[in-house]
Amino acid sequence: MNPTKELVVISGKGGTGKTSITASFAILGDQDIVLADCDVDAADMHLLMAPKIQSREAFFSGVLAEITPDLCTNCGLCVDVCHFDAIHEEQGKHIIDSLNCEGCGYCPRVCPEKAIRMLDANVGDWYRSITRLQAPMVHARLRNGADNSGKLVTKVKEEANRLAAAAGKPLLLVDGPPGVGCPVVAALASADYVVIVIEPTVSGIHDLKRVQELIVKFRIRAGCIINKFDINPAVTAKIKEFIATEGIDHLADIPYDTAFTQAMTLGKTIVEYDPEGIGKQIQKSWHKIKQLLELESEET
Amino acid sequence: MKIVFTSKDQTMDASMDPRFGRAPFLIMYDDESRKYTAHDNAESANSAHGAGPLTAKKVYDLHPDVIVTGNGPGEKAAETLQLAEITIFVGASDMTVNEALAAFKQGKLQEIE
Repeated sequence: MNPTKELVVISGKGGTGKTSITASFAILGDQDIVLADCDVDAADMHLLMAPKIQSREAFFSGVLAEITPDLCTNCGLCVDVCHFDAIHEEQGKHIIDSLNCEGCGYCPRVCPEKAIRMLDANVGDWYRSITRLQAPMVHARLRNGADNSGKLVTKVKEEANRLAAAAGKPLLLVDGPPGVGCPVVAALASADYVVIVIEPTVSGIHDLKRVQELIVKFRIRAGCIINKFDINPAVTAKIKEFIATEGIDHLADIPYDTAFTQAMTLGKTIVEYDPEGIGKQIQKSWHKIKQLLELESEET
Repeated sequence: MKIVFTSKDQTMDASMDPRFGRAPFLIMYDDESRKYTAHDNAESANSAHGAGPLTAKKVYDLHPDVIVTGNGPGEKAAETLQLAEITIFVGASDMTVNEALAAFKQGKLQEIE
């Protein structure tokens, strides 16, 4: 029924190397994948995949208040009730600062002139693109101050799934959002396999545990890549113990290496920059994941 | 017994939606009359946040005995359903609604507690 498998890469904590590894998978997946960048708050996959934008659409999420000046009598009731300090009087007119407005809907309730409307908020754009490997990619860009949401992640994933189905691609590769909130829930809700990229720090292992609680709720099989495993052997040992107890697949231990940064400054992934070193380990993980997703038979 | 399914469309032949909160339709099947009704869930599917709890409320309003879905509801939605004494079955991702019904009756789906 659903021939495209969904592989979602998450990290809990930010800055663990999630996108570097996802982009490497995108290179290894070549033409077999559709790429979805759901880490929309700080989208950076485009830096490595150099997508050519094919189409662009506005994305609406939530509502913002707007005053119709002709109806407004400047009574100021809206200013009194606004908890977000979003309404000001300027040159004798009341105006709403869209950056401060939270869309709570209190001001239209108190406006005696019915001069305030709640309008759908255009928080950014989403794009259908083609990566430098000619693979389809769906990504988005938010306006200043706008948040990622479960709705936006869902939109990006649904569009990517549609492209995958149309082109008969076997795998949807998702760069997931950080944390464990609504956007992550939306990213995981239809996943077939989750890769957790973790670093051996106190906050790293703390967030791994929180992410695992969520994955268990969704009953998805998960694998773990310990990035920079050699910077803290004690925490790495704790992570290994944790993933073994929880039944998480141990996919790879990647050492700390400045090659990651050097590759990035060239706009390349580590599998392209260092194919025989660290790149090789990521390749091994990739094949293992493909076997687990039954996209590849086991090597003999 | 009344069973609700999370679905991508409005008939028993439609694909199940593995997602709980953002499934576009809920299909309610009545085991006694062998009839079903489709219910639009677009409001939850389009909400910026909190799609799971909102869908749980919609399921509750249908008063089923059982909910069948794919990967399963998240923590808040699951808690809501459990308080409403609706039994949750998961693992019906790559199926049609009809197939999910058959799998449920054959005891092939996993109950979550």
